[in-house]
Amino acid sequence: MTGPATDDIVVDHLTKQYKKLRAVDDLSFTVRSGRVTGFLGPNGAGKTTTLRMLLGLVTPTAGTATIGGRKYVELHDPIRHVGAVLEASSAHRGRTGRNHLRMICRAAGLPDSRSDEALELVGLTPAAKRKFKGYSLGMRQRLGIAAAMLGDPRVLVLDEPANGLDPEGIRWMRDLLKALAAEGRTVLVSSHLLGEMQLLADDVVILAAGKLIRQGPVEDVLGSMGAAQVRVRTPQAAELTDALGKINATVSPQPDGTMLVSGAEAAAIGHAAFAASVELHELTPERGDLEQVFLQLTAGMAGIR
Amino acid sequence: MRLVNAELFKLRTTSIWWIMGIILLPLYAASLGFNWLSSYALVSGQADGGASDAQAQVDAVSQPINIATNLYTTGQYMGVLIVLLLSAIIVTSEFFHLTATTTFLVTPRRETVILAKFGAAIIVALLVWAITTLLDLLLVPIIMDALNIGNQLGEPAVWRAIGLNALAFLLWAVLGVGLGVLIRSQLAATLILGIVYTIGTGVFAIIFQLLETYVAKWIQNLEVLVPTTASQLMLSGTELPGNPPRWVGALVLIGYAVIAGVVGTLITKRRDIS
Ligand SMILES: Nc1ncnc2c1ncn2[C@@H]1O[C@H](COP(=O)(O)OP(=O)(O)O)[C@@H](O)[C@H]1O
Ligand SMILES: [Mg+2]
Repeated sequence: MTGPATDDIVVDHLTKQYKKLRAVDDLSFTVRSGRVTGFLGPNGAGKTTTLRMLLGLVTPTAGTATIGGRKYVELHDPIRHVGAVLEASSAHRGRTGRNHLRMICRAAGLPDSRSDEALELVGLTPAAKRKFKGYSLGMRQRLGIAAAMLGDPRVLVLDEPANGLDPEGIRWMRDLLKALAAEGRTVLVSSHLLGEMQLLADDVVILAAGKLIRQGPVEDVLGSMGAAQVRVRTPQAAELTDALGKINATVSPQPDGTMLVSGAEAAAIGHAAFAASVELHELTPERGDLEQVFLQLTAGMAGIR
Repeated sequence: MRLVNAELFKLRTTSIWWIMGIILLPLYAASLGFNWLSSYALVSGQADGGASDAQAQVDAVSQPINIATNLYTTGQYMGVLIVLLLSAIIVTSEFFHLTATTTFLVTPRRETVILAKFGAAIIVALLVWAITTLLDLLLVPIIMDALNIGNQLGEPAVWRAIGLNALAFLLWAVLGVGLGVLIRSQLAATLILGIVYTIGTGVFAIIFQLLETYVAKWIQNLEVLVPTTASQLMLSGTELPGNPPRWVGALVLIGYAVIAGVVGTLITKRRDIS
């Protein structure tokens, strides 16, 4: 396989105009390899449309989307390079899961044995010979992931893969995608489940009403919205508040007896406490909540269009 | 070639092929019985044409060689119908079952996918042709013997009819794929193709009769543009009196097949898959 130099996904001024609706509006972002990138947006934001344009299924009105510098349709044997999971129900109801995968293997010139390996990878081996119509939604998602993994691709694109999975399945998928990214692959996952994304993604691309709202590492996006806070527990609240006042940190006492400190890092707080001889029982940096940040960022832009 | 193989694999791994097979066999038996009876009627001279033109036609078809070509292509009518529907379903099922996404992800060059479907449909068509022809070669000599007209297998016209029969299967398969792309809905495609194929000839004959009577005589010559009529013309054993030459029928069918194929491919290339 003569792959391109990198496996980055580059979306460049991508636009899709349906009759009245601009589903995707001059969208640009980059997805880097070796990381899991969450593609976030409320329902109808244009995530699916963007991914389908990236994969050559929908023709953009303007702009381009490339994978490793090439358009999907220009890739030779694309499924050896890019694996995609688009919707959970895209297999023939009367065909067995294993034959669904074999059909793809035949069309892509992969050996039939790949289908058994992929079934094993997603834990579907016991259901291999069952027809697709007997699969639960979670099993269908797993079959989709198996199909995406057939060609051992360097790039993975998944549209709402957590839909229909039970908590155990979601955890399994999170571990799988993280492991794949850790091997240096590019992983782009769309979702509207923000709690899940916070656990999974390294980077996020936030979309609303077809437009890019924010892109960057999760920490940066969280940090940009309201400074991070540190939770502190101490028996000497008054003394610590004084000490922190001197380093310009703000303290807000909480009902549970702890204090949330903003404007200072955990290390600085610890140092100030030490210098003032204040005893600390807890010193925990609080990670911002992606869901809150997301709701702030997309306020007024969510909703069905 | 591996895509044609994949398309055949798709057909093989669902129930559609044996459903069609189960439908085909009794229909074949019925056609054979019907042809036997009509051949018997012709041989014993019971069929009566009436008007002189029609009488000439009856005389023509009741020659042993024409009876033979008719019998050795038994199963054509129903076989072609099955092939036509299967060919359309090869395309429409991709949209019906939402597998088009998977298919075009594996092969984003859509024209190659459609080409592979044409290839697969043609292979299926030739397979059905081979099966019906094999049955014909086994069973028809027995009938011919019973009718006391010899098996006629030494006649080149018989082998030409069998060959043209293969061409008909092939062209209808191409037509089916092309029309499957044009009429994307599975239900609509099977209904429309099934109805037009079975009663289309009769309906168009009536329409043309009326046009001919009330508009202009020359319109009659256009009746060959009806695909089923064209197919019949291409296959008929001798140049029947009052009909255009048979190559016109072949040309009309090829024309339709090419148009359906090209238009269907162009549409598929442009369409958004969502
Ligand atoms: N084929 C289509 N024709 C017209 N509008 C469409 C089509 N596909 C999607 N849309 C519209 O485009 C918008 C974005 O849809 P989609 O990309 O599916 O959003 P998401 O995946 O983020 O929920 C929606 O408002 C949807 O109704
Ligand atoms: Mg979507």
